[in-house]
Amino acid sequence: MGSADEDYNFVFKVVLIGESGVGKTNLLSRFTRNEFNHDSRTTIGVEFSTRTILLGDAMVKAQIWDTAGLERYRAITSAYYRGAVGALVVFDITKHQSYDVVDRWLKELYEHAEPSIVVMLVGNKTDLAQAREVPMEEAKMFADNNGLLFVETSALDSTNVEQAFETILKEIFHKVQQQKQRSSQSNTVSLSNESPESTAPAQAEKRPCCVAL
Amino acid sequence: LFFNSLTKPSSKPPTTPVKLKKVSTFQEFESNTSDAWDLGDDDDELLAIAAENLNTEVVMETAHKVIQNHSKLQEQHKFQEEHQQEEKRVESAELTSIACGDNRLVKSVSEGHTSTSSDNASENSSMQRSQSLPQTSTPPLVSGTADYNTSVTPALTEREASRLDKFNQLLAGPNTDLEVLRKLSWSGIPKRVRPIAWKLLSGYLPANVDRRESTLQRKRKEYFAFVEQYYDSRNDESHQDTYRQIHIDIPRMSPEVLRLQPKVTEIFERILFIWAIRHPASGYVQGINDLVTPFFVVFVCEYIEEEEVENFDVSSLPEEVLQNIEADSYWCMSKLLDGIQDNYTFAQPGIQKKVKMLEELVSRIDEQVHRHLDQHEVKYLQFAFRWMNNLLMREVPLRCTIRLWDTYQSEPEGFSHFHLYVCAAFLVRWRKEILEEKDFQ
Repeated sequence: MGSADEDYNFVFKVVLIGESGVGKTNLLSRFTRNEFNHDSRTTIGVEFSTRTILLGDAMVKAQIWDTAGLERYRAITSAYYRGAVGALVVFDITKHQSYDVVDRWLKELYEHAEPSIVVMLVGNKTDLAQAREVPMEEAKMFADNNGLLFVETSALDSTNVEQAFETILKEIFHKVQQQKQRSSQSNTVSLSNESPESTAPAQAEKRPCCVAL
Repeated sequence: LFFNSLTKPSSKPPTTPVKLKKVSTFQEFESNTSDAWDLGDDDDELLAIAAENLNTEVVMETAHKVIQNHSKLQEQHKFQEEHQQEEKRVESAELTSIACGDNRLVKSVSEGHTSTSSDNASENSSMQRSQSLPQTSTPPLVSGTADYNTSVTPALTEREASRLDKFNQLLAGPNTDLEVLRKLSWSGIPKRVRPIAWKLLSGYLPANVDRRESTLQRKRKEYFAFVEQYYDSRNDESHQDTYRQIHIDIPRMSPEVLRLQPKVTEIFERILFIWAIRHPASGYVQGINDLVTPFFVVFVCEYIEEEEVENFDVSSLPEEVLQNIEADSYWCMSKLLDGIQDNYTFAQPGIQKKVKMLEELVSRIDEQVHRHLDQHEVKYLQFAFRWMNNLLMREVPLRCTIRLWDTYQSEPEGFSHFHLYVCAAFLVRWRKEILEEKDFQ
């Protein structure tokens, strides 16, 4: 990880949110280390891993933050969302309850993150199709109505995990490019059209290398 | 976060002699660390090693001073009385060096290694298996003294035997001097007397020997009255969120084998649910589940002869014994949580405060590490939150936690205040690795 550290043009901070036990940690480990752990332990506080991928001719370092799905950890909420340019809102397709609370997670997300954050709804655990409680069409429609990207994944058998992260990173990249064109004179890269001086700037903005692109 | 990179086998190979490999089982860990945890009494040696491992000159100096003090005082068996603040700092570093399973430490003491638990266990097991319940709760409490002389095998070193003897005398009563017990327990409690020592140190058991059994009976009855009263409400609308969270968290804690036993799951669910219902200001918070484990494991050891709790089938214990273990674990965990309640109330102010204090402390004792973290945009909250929330239980093997808790329970505010110094000692102990690391995740 260390050696590739400097070889990137962008850092995108993406947060994983959703109910406890939906598989956030395993989605992260599947994407960053191609690992799945049947006995993964509850996430306490925050953890993050990174993976650098090539989008077009730009190296993008995805810094993906994982947190506990329990509300009590509000202590770290604001730090968690600060600078995030993307969010995966994860639910478990075999637990309707985890889908029911997606609304609540979105609300919290929009309270703390920049309005222009790219959000993807992720229905995880498709390997347990026989226990499905949330129809794909229902979730897809919800995502469309709320302007969210949507994908169903299985961290266990790898289905769509790569695609999910790639899609959201591409979308972020696309937004950043647009933003850069629009504000080429201002010499900053931010997703926030409304408030470039926002107190929660996109991670990309902090890195001089991002501007140089 | 970066601590993961120090403990997870998948990360880069370690650059130090320290054993950083995360051990997955109790057994593996125990064979790795040899007898470092049974050493206890040998403060001189431990301090010397601690001093050797620390880079800070100030700490070295202090350590030498402490070592000198200790050697002088040891003959009079009074050295523990010299408990100064700076000494604590060094010793918390010493604990850290134990916690990492330092090879040198293990090597240097491995000749002295013996198993204190095998003889201990055979003595206990013969009792509790042959006797009918409910009297089983009594023998282990008094047996330490009664059977002691006959049960010391040649494998027990002189030092260990003398140490165990001190504990036994102290525990025999008629009144256990808690101040002396704390001083003695600070450097580690022999396995065979740990259950009773923990119950005394936590304030669960009274110092007076004659009152102990009746207290146990009363508290155990009280706990099961709570279960009777509240446990059926776990599926009520008002409590189902709490219960569901506990239910999904228990399979996601360690140790791996123990937690998968249905009987253990059942017991942990009851303990945590009852505690949550009776402490509405905090309720159940992830992390609290981990705090049951050390008590449960130590109290199980009171009744079994197996060395490895993880491989032990808990359901083979008589129902009444299990009930005692459950109630004792509940009460001792409650006592612990009383001291760190603000860690788990809304927005977790206790943790926020302690993380800030850690940051402040490290900025004073190791400015270089502090600056390095800052330069790489590592926030203390990112790694220390879990250190505080789970009392380092996610960072060290269970056996280390149990040993650490000997000391925490001997300190006036061990789980809140002293823990902070242990966390700081962790950072200082791994300063070299931290300073070399540029990609924290």
